[in-house]
Amino acid sequence: MNQQLAGYAPTPVAARMENHGSAMLKVAMATGQDLLARVGSMVAYEGFIQYEPNPPAVRQMARDWITGEGAPLMKCTGDGLLYLADYGANVVIVNLNNDAISVNGTNVLAFDASLQWGVERVKGLAKFAGQGLFNVKISGTGWVALTSRGTPVVVDCGSGEDETYVDPDALVAWSPNLKVKGKRSFKASSLIGRGSGEAFQMAFSGQGIVVVQPSEDSTDRLRARG
Amino acid sequence: MAREFQRGHKAKVSDLTAGTDLYVGVQIGGPGLTFDISCFGLDANEQLSDDRYFVFFNQPKSPEESIQLLGPQSGDTESFRVTLDRVPANIHKLSFTATLDGAGQMSQVGPGYIRVVAGGEEVVRYSFTGAEFSTERAVMLGDFYLKDVWRFAAVGQGFDGGLEALLKNFGGEVLEEEPAAPQQPEPQGATPGFAPPPQVAAPAPQFGAPAQPAPSFGAPVPAPAPAPAAPQHYAPPPQGSTPPPPSPSPQIHAAPTIAAPMHLVPGTVPPPAPAPYGQPPQQPPYGQPPQQPQFGRQPAPVPGQVPPPGAPAPYGQPAPYGQPAPYGQPQGMPQGGGGLHAAIQMYKELPTGQRWTSQNKQLVRVDLGAGGQPVLARQGSMVMYQGKVDFGYKGAGFAGRIVGNATGQEMQLMRCSGRGQVFLAENSAYLHPIELQGDGICVSAEHVLAFDESLQYEVRRIEGHGIPGGALFTMLFQGTGTVVVMTHGTPVVLPVTPTTFADSDAIVAWSAASQVIVSSQVRLRRNAYPGHSGESVNLQFRGAPGNFIVVQPYEV
Repeated sequence: MNQQLAGYAPTPVAARMENHGSAMLKVAMATGQDLLARVGSMVAYEGFIQYEPNPPAVRQMARDWITGEGAPLMKCTGDGLLYLADYGANVVIVNLNNDAISVNGTNVLAFDASLQWGVERVKGLAKFAGQGLFNVKISGTGWVALTSRGTPVVVDCGSGEDETYVDPDALVAWSPNLKVKGKRSFKASSLIGRGSGEAFQMAFSGQGIVVVQPSEDSTDRLRARG
Repeated sequence: MAREFQRGHKAKVSDLTAGTDLYVGVQIGGPGLTFDISCFGLDANEQLSDDRYFVFFNQPKSPEESIQLLGPQSGDTESFRVTLDRVPANIHKLSFTATLDGAGQMSQVGPGYIRVVAGGEEVVRYSFTGAEFSTERAVMLGDFYLKDVWRFAAVGQGFDGGLEALLKNFGGEVLEEEPAAPQQPEPQGATPGFAPPPQVAAPAPQFGAPAQPAPSFGAPVPAPAPAPAAPQHYAPPPQGSTPPPPSPSPQIHAAPTIAAPMHLVPGTVPPPAPAPYGQPPQQPPYGQPPQQPQFGRQPAPVPGQVPPPGAPAPYGQPAPYGQPAPYGQPQGMPQGGGGLHAAIQMYKELPTGQRWTSQNKQLVRVDLGAGGQPVLARQGSMVMYQGKVDFGYKGAGFAGRIVGNATGQEMQLMRCSGRGQVFLAENSAYLHPIELQGDGICVSAEHVLAFDESLQYEVRRIEGHGIPGGALFTMLFQGTGTVVVMTHGTPVVLPVTPTTFADSDAIVAWSAASQVIVSSQVRLRRNAYPGHSGESVNLQFRGAPGNFIVVQPYEV
C-alpha cells in the first residue's frame, strides 16, 4: 500500500511555498516568517504552528472587507510545514520581487506577512456584484499564493491595441498599475430580459497583466462554510 | 491562407505554395519540459544513410545548406529553413521530430504546432496537444517527402523510447554511430559557450517583452536528449543571470523559482525507490534541538537541492522536515529570481494565428478577426475579451424552438461579433473544439459551449420515460466550422458497436450517423433507494462502424 501512496509523499522542501499537486500549497514555516492565510484554508500541518484568527493588524487593514464574520485572514506562526487548499482550486504561486499585484479578495490563499498589503474597493465598482469587489493589493518582496478555479490564463494588456474586458466573476488578479473601469454593455434590448448575459465587464488599459480563471464561479467557498 | 492539417493529412507542397524556400516552425513546450527539435534527411528506404543530414542543434545545417536550423523565433520553439529544390536527390524525406530532454512524457506538452511558412505567409499548420500522446518521449511531427513531387504530411507519431527509438526507426545500422553523434556535443553542450540561440530564449529578460508570445519553457537547452544528465531538467531557470553550470550536478537554483504546479505532482513521477513515507528512517524527532550531528553537516545548498531523477532516494525518505534546518530554508535561495513574471509565465496567452485556440484545457479563445463570422456562445461563458466585440442576444429562432418544446430546458445563446479575441470558459469544464468538415455531430444541448455561426444546427428531442425533464435535447451540427463541446472531466470516446449503451445523464455527443434508441430497464427491486423509480434509462446507439459516442465521467 505504501508503494502506491509513496508517490504522494511530500517532496523535500525547496522553497518557502511550493505546489503539492495542482491544488495544494505547501508552505515551509519558520519562526519570524509569519504567514497570512485565508481562514479555513488549512488542510494539514506538521510541526508547531499556531493560528491567530482575526489578528489586530489584519482587522485594521481589512475592516472594509469584513462583513460581520471577522476578517477572512488568519496569521500563522511557528515552525513546520503547512498545507493549504481551497476546495480543489488550482493554486498559483507568485514570488514577488519588488513587484505588486492586485488580487481579487476570494482568490487570495496566503501571503507572507512581511509583504505590504491593503484592501481596497475597485473604484466605481463598489456597488456591483453581490460579493462586492474587494481586492487585496500586495506589494514588496515575498511569496503570494493565489487560487484559480481551473487553469488560469495570463493576458498581457499591452499587446492588444484595445482595452481588455474581463468578466468580474472570472477575474483573479491584475497589475495594480493598470487603469480599471467598469463597462456596462446594456442595450435597449437587454433591459427587457434579453441580454447577452454579459451585462457588465471590467475594462483594463495600460501596461500590465491580467489573470483570468476559466470559471465564472467566484463564490467564496471558505467563507460560505462559516 | 493557412491550411489546418490534422494528423495524417497530406498535400503536395506545390498545392500549398509555389515557393520551395520554406520556413518550418515548430512550437512545442510544456511546463518543466525541454525539447530537442531536429530534422532527419532520409533516403528512399527511410533510413538515415548519411548522418550529415541529421540537422539538430549541434549540426545546424546540412552540407549544401538546403536544411538549416535557425533557432527559436517568432513564437516558434525551433525553426528551420528548407530549400527543397536544393535537397540532394538521394534524400527522399525530411522528417521533423521533437524529443524530450530530461524527464517527462509527451502527454504533458501543451498545445503546439508545426507550420510551414513561405514568403512570410503561413501556408499550412498542424496543431497538436498533449492529449494526443501518452507516454511517448519522442514524436515525429511532420514530413516533407518526395513522391514524384515534394509533399508535406502531418504525422504526429510518437515513440516511447525517445531519441534512441527514433534513431532506430531511421535505420538500425545508424544506431551504433548515431547515438555517438548526439553525445559528442555533450561536453560542449554543457558549457555556456555553445548554442547561442537557445540561450537567448531562456533567460529572464525575455519575460519583460510584452510582444514576445513565445512560451520560453519550451526553449531548447544545449543538452542532448539521450544524456540522462539531470541538470537541465528544469531547463530555463527564470533567473537570467545563471548560465547552466558546466558540472553535471543538479541545478540547485532551478527548482525554487519555478511555480510549476501540475507537473511537479509527485504522483506523476513513479518513485524509483520503495522508500515509503510514513517510516522515515532514523529521523530525528521534531523538537529535537539542533545538536544533532547531521545538522552541522547541513550545508546551505541542501534545502534547495532537488534530488537528481536517477537518485535512489527521492520522496520522503530522510524526511527533510524532520531536521530543523529546512524550516528556515529560504536562506540559501535566490530570492525573487524572476519574480512575478516568471511565476505566471506558464499561464501566458498562447500566440495567435488560428480562429479557435485551446488556451488550456478549460479555456478556449476565438479570434473573431480570423474568418470574420460571428460566433454563437452560451450566455455568460465569456470570461474576457480584447478588441471591439459586440455581445448580442441570439434571437428566438433557435431558442424559441427549444422553449416551445420544453420549459426550463432552453439554452440561451449570445452572438459575439466584431473584431477581437474572446476567451470562453464555463465553470472550469474541459473544452474540446471539434472541427467539422462537412460531417455532422449531435451534442447534448447542455454541453455546447460555442460554435461558428456558419454551421447549420437543429435541435432534436429524444423522448423517453425517465429522462430528467422528460426529454433529452441535442443539437445536430452540420457543415464546416468548429463546435466547442464541454465535459466535466476527461471524456471517453467509444466506437459504436451493436451493444453500445450510455447513461442519458453522462452522454455528451455522438456522431450524427448513429441512431439513438431509448432503452429502459425496470429492475425487480423497485425501491433501491427512496425517490428512485427503479427504472434506469439508457441510450442505445446503433450505427455503422466508424461512428462514435462521447461520454463524460460525470452525471449531471
